Amino acid sequence: MMTVVSAELADTSVGPPRWLASPGKIVVRLLVYGVPTVMILAPLMSFLAYSFLEQKDNIVTGHLTLANYAAFFQSGSYLYVFFGTVKLAFVVATVALFLGYIISYLIWRLEGSTRYLLLLLSALPLVMNYVVKIYAMRSILGFNGFLNSFLMASGIINAPSKLFIFNQTAVMLAMAVIYLPFGILPIFLALERIPQSLLSAAADLGAKPGQIFLTVILPLSLPGSIAGALFVMVIALGDYLTPQMVGGSEGFTFGRAIWSQFGMAFNWPFGAALAVVLLVTVIALIGLASLIARKARLG
Amino acid sequence: MKRREFLSLTTTMAAGALASSAFKPAKAAGKELRILTWEGYADDQWVKAFEQKTGSTVSISYTGSVDEIFAKMTASGGADFDVIAIETSSYKRLTQEKLLQPVDLAKVPQSSNLLPAFRSVSAIIFDGKPYAVPFAWGSIPLIYSTDTFKTAPDSWSILWDPKYKGRIIVMDDANNAIVTTALLLGFKDPFNLSADQFLQVKAKLLEQKANVASYYAGFDDGVSIFAQGGIDLMMSMGEPQAPMLRSRGANVGLTIPKEGAIGWIDCWAISAKARDTELAHAWVDAMLEKAVGTYISEKTGYGNTTNGDANEKIGLTYSDRLVFLQAPEDFGRRIELWNEIKATPVQQ
Repeated sequence: MMTVVSAELADTSVGPPRWLASPGKIVVRLLVYGVPTVMILAPLMSFLAYSFLEQKDNIVTGHLTLANYAAFFQSGSYLYVFFGTVKLAFVVATVALFLGYIISYLIWRLEGSTRYLLLLLSALPLVMNYVVKIYAMRSILGFNGFLNSFLMASGIINAPSKLFIFNQTAVMLAMAVIYLPFGILPIFLALERIPQSLLSAAADLGAKPGQIFLTVILPLSLPGSIAGALFVMVIALGDYLTPQMVGGSEGFTFGRAIWSQFGMAFNWPFGAALAVVLLVTVIALIGLASLIARKARLG
Repeated sequence: MKRREFLSLTTTMAAGALASSAFKPAKAAGKELRILTWEGYADDQWVKAFEQKTGSTVSISYTGSVDEIFAKMTASGGADFDVIAIETSSYKRLTQEKLLQPVDLAKVPQSSNLLPAFRSVSAIIFDGKPYAVPFAWGSIPLIYSTDTFKTAPDSWSILWDPKYKGRIIVMDDANNAIVTTALLLGFKDPFNLSADQFLQVKAKLLEQKANVASYYAGFDDGVSIFAQGGIDLMMSMGEPQAPMLRSRGANVGLTIPKEGAIGWIDCWAISAKARDTELAHAWVDAMLEKAVGTYISEKTGYGNTTNGDANEKIGLTYSDRLVFLQAPEDFGRRIELWNEIKATPVQQ
């Protein structure tokens, strides 16, 4: 490896200066920087720009304005939905952290090939289409669903109950199940990063298993786990379909509010402003997550 | 109309792939007609016949939403397309932005085939000139479970009856919910509501919310919830939901309550910058052939505007009891109202 690098260095020192790259390199660089710019940055910038445009009589006038943001901060219902959605995402993330930690810990404690088999199984729902998962959850929780048939067959209830579908409980259950794999993977990685030697040392010094968990494993894996949970929160924040489909009349979330400004409403500037509000929230959460993760790495 | 937006993601993606064909260079030789429409409205059999008859080539771009039609039309001031098919409530905005030209009915001799109910639809007439020709129609009817109701409920007020609390689903669509409620409240013009009428509609819809099990997101979603059981009534998204429900084992009936129901009409219109207006008129004319109308009814289950018998055969006999959609006074305000309803917790 070393020789290859030095050979390359030697080569560039006699050739043209480094900044005068070959055409091939320019193409590669254009691809590396250009594609994300065109595909990601440009659309983001365009909706950022849209959010500051004025709209009158269904036509964007081109004047700059803060009215779209003012409309959001002054309207009771959009603020209410926004905080409701943040709260929902937070609860989902907390559930994913709690359940995800338990599952990851149990998998992590296993030895040999069963460990990776179970990890793979727990990540398997990720390859399934998300709408299919929502429908699956609905056929479990629904009126004539699996849960109700099971409870009736076992004699616990006499008639199908509507307790499990079209309410907040259903939203929590469905979202927790759908987003759990996103929690399990980062938490497992956080556990995996703990050096085995630390555990052996703790055991050698006479610590009981419970003590090892509380004083070594938990403190070392918690920051990474929290960062993982924050990512779950980010995904849950943008999900408006699950609440809509299992949440019943209370299933209105911020993503759906953004959606409603497009379509027949034709209010792209206001929709863009709402989207920017959500984007800023998401960036703040990701920033927080990476801060926690970095702190954890530095110890 | 949103009903199609939900049909399925794959359809939209396929439509997107097909829409990209719009960017292909135009054929140099011969006449060309560029159509922007929904899937099912430009089927091979009549496109081929039209091509042969007029010696032209037809290029079709499919669209997935009304948004997309507006975006594509405004991008070029209409220069990219010759004819489009769109629903009546969009015409106010399309003519405001001068994206369409009036249809010269003298060049559309088969407009004499139009059934009486579709000869003077006010939503598509501006300054006394028709800007489109009706082609396919349907309604937003009430669908009910025949296990619960031996006879069809006769009024929309059934959706407010506490007896059916938690057994009702309503589509998540601002305008349809508001117009239907305005019809129930007996307002003369459900498309131009006064401030006071807005308040009444809001109070009424909030009252309904306590009864609603779910505001369903789309065609299939509504069918799936209803078919799973525990639901008696649904403000539907259109006629095809009834046969879909029956095929899934639900016993349902479909009715237009006494207050009337929303009707929609998809109409053919000619772009302001159509390259060949003669050819565009020829297409509009060809779409009014009775055979095309018959095919539309048989294949899609929607009503047609030329063959009354074909409509009757599929049970669409009530076009005279529908209130056809017009552009409302302020769409933004209606969305705002609907979002407020959805954001307000249910008062028990």
